[in-house]
Amino acid sequence: MVKARFANLVPLVLALGLGLGLSVFSVNAAEPTEPRNEPEQRLLEVLTLTSQGQSAAALEKAQELVRDYPNFQLAQLTLGDLLLARTRPLYTLGNTVVDSDESADALNDLRIESQRRVAAQKAVLPLGAIPQQFLRLSDTMRYAIAVDTSRSRLYLFENSPQGVRLVADYYASVGKLGIEKQIEGDQRTPLGVYFVTSKLQGTSLPPLYGSGALTLNYPNPLDERRGKTGHGIWLHGTPPEQFSRAPQATDGCVALADPDLTFLLETVETRRTPVVIAKELQWVQPSTQDSLRQAFDIVLMRWQEAKSQGDIDGLLSFYAADFRSSKKIDLSTWNTRLRQEITRLNGRELELKERSYLHWSDEDEVMVVTFGEVPRGDVSGPMRRQYWRHNGQSWQIFFESTV
Amino acid sequence: MNTSYRPTLRLLYWLVAVAAFSSIGAVGVISASAVNAHAQDHSVITELLKEKQATQALAQLKTRLAQNPDDPHLRFLQGVAQALDGQNKTAIATFVRLTKDYPELPEPYNNLAVLYAAENQLDKARQTLEQAIRTNPSYSTAHENLGDIYAKMAGQAYSKALQVDDTNSTQLQPKLALIHDLFSVTGAGVLGASKTGLEADVVAVIAANGASGDKKQANSINQLLEPPALAPAAVVDAGAASAAATASAASTSPNSATPASSTAPANGTTMKDTAKEAVLAWARAWAAQNMDAYLGAYAPSFRPPSGASRSAWEKERRARIVGKRNITVELSNIEITINDSDVATARFRQDYKGDGFVSSNSKTLKLERVGERWLITREVAGG
Repeated sequence: MVKARFANLVPLVLALGLGLGLSVFSVNAAEPTEPRNEPEQRLLEVLTLTSQGQSAAALEKAQELVRDYPNFQLAQLTLGDLLLARTRPLYTLGNTVVDSDESADALNDLRIESQRRVAAQKAVLPLGAIPQQFLRLSDTMRYAIAVDTSRSRLYLFENSPQGVRLVADYYASVGKLGIEKQIEGDQRTPLGVYFVTSKLQGTSLPPLYGSGALTLNYPNPLDERRGKTGHGIWLHGTPPEQFSRAPQATDGCVALADPDLTFLLETVETRRTPVVIAKELQWVQPSTQDSLRQAFDIVLMRWQEAKSQGDIDGLLSFYAADFRSSKKIDLSTWNTRLRQEITRLNGRELELKERSYLHWSDEDEVMVVTFGEVPRGDVSGPMRRQYWRHNGQSWQIFFESTV
Repeated sequence: MNTSYRPTLRLLYWLVAVAAFSSIGAVGVISASAVNAHAQDHSVITELLKEKQATQALAQLKTRLAQNPDDPHLRFLQGVAQALDGQNKTAIATFVRLTKDYPELPEPYNNLAVLYAAENQLDKARQTLEQAIRTNPSYSTAHENLGDIYAKMAGQAYSKALQVDDTNSTQLQPKLALIHDLFSVTGAGVLGASKTGLEADVVAVIAANGASGDKKQANSINQLLEPPALAPAAVVDAGAASAAATASAASTSPNSATPASSTAPANGTTMKDTAKEAVLAWARAWAAQNMDAYLGAYAPSFRPPSGASRSAWEKERRARIVGKRNITVELSNIEITINDSDVATARFRQDYKGDGFVSSNSKTLKLERVGERWLITREVAGG
């Protein structure tokens, strides 16, 4: 039996950068307990077997994978390569002829998808590290999401009394024309801090959205302040003819494979789940952010004190000159509002419960703050969301509203 | 290259003695009874080898070979013993001599391949195993058919990967009919289907077979079926096509049909003619997978598409062309326009077939005269 096939698969292996002697991929900060990412895990198993020279086993597993997920185009490509390698050396990942620009693009997209999936699996995330944007998560924020667009990866975190831990991560597609959405129709995914505003089941949506969608609040108040337009930026699934999409494929939404999106739909809560979308996530140990967190604790405490004590001038100093609330309410109207609230408070101290701080830095340094404002003696109070900006010397609020 | 993963190849421990001997013509006449007698004796040695008792086996073999130095069975077993004893170079030499004396035995080739692989000479191992398969024409054909099946299956998977419609299943003409039909050569097939009826200039360019180059046929059937390995693709005039198709039945190669008007005529050569001939030569080089000629058809000033560098583009073209078993390029409706004393434009329809993929598109080449030659400066689909 002719068996010398390993040499044929060298480009497949090299292109994937699987390195020497790796039979097990590096483990992420937390192992998912359910078999999520199953098709991706199986694909990576095929690639591992290939890199070990076990081409027959790899071929068998690849055939099983496409049998179960015939629309997983990357798996089909891998299968094609494994079959072709039985007959001749391969020169490239996806060793096929393309006869149209469309196909050439599709092939190139599949290669990038492959690299990104492998890279994400290989990435060693230090245990306990989280994206720096999650400066403080409230106890009621049971889940948080962060998207690293450069790595085509969405990360799901669980927040518990034990801390924040990574629960799962998925391959994700962004806008056709990339990131940094500015205007309606520019086919870019926005970067920033968002919240899940609602959940939509796939059955009530066109097939493009697959198993469903989680809507986001783009444009958020920071986006609006910057004059950004557009709407309908969601996390959603994939149309039936594809298992996953090209790294840059959507009109600006973030697209996941249906099983992954379904898990999010079943897991996260609307209105409380932050979604950070960044060009590249910076991972930090929470303890390294202690001083920043504590510094902001103090800022917020002073704001709370000013309001509780009815110190209207002191309170106003926390608000930027260009402050806006929803419905275009400006600072002078807000001033009146504050006075009314202070009167109602009648000297009772405010407790700020379920505080969260989401720290966003680009050309501005911004803190997206949410808390429940509960006057002493009351059972509950309004949920406030404030957007603070650091002006070089101090933090000031440029947007505030009730959630 | 990751050298820590070597394929585990399997040594063969015995020759299939009776069948092997019946096909040997080279080394004298050996009676069947003598063969059987030898076969019985050798079982002692093969047992030793199975138990990895190389030293003892070598000792036994030394004695026996002293009496029968030319016995291929003993020589084979000696090679095996040497391999098991770790004497790779000696074992290789033993098997190489065996393959020279008995080129029709598959087992020495197999074991040679095992030894080459152990020395990390994987491509040499591959070639040697291909030789092993070719010692039996039936296995050779079955192996080729298997390769074609894999290629076809790969093609289907690729189509699904790229979400391309794969209903064109006549692309890869199955070689499964090869053994019965001596004259169903790729070339004849294309010739038979060539567009003799077209009024416009139709030129069929026929590909030479296979890029791996080592299809040096060892048996007569294959020699009839495939053109000689180094024959370049021939240009056949439309009018002579059908005549050539019938004539090829008896000849060794359809490519030997005399091209009626392909070479540059002595007088009255117009610029259009020479430009057209350059285009045809480029297509021939492509089909023949002759990278020097193909790449040499492009001017130094050629601008690769999508802004790629010249070297990156050459690398990609090489990857796309050299690996194919079979490329066919057909040009039709060729229109040459002379724009200037040194500049010409060629527009044509290009029908490409490469290992089960077909494409058909219009193409435009911009050519520039550099010295005596027309070289391509731009290549655009459509236009």
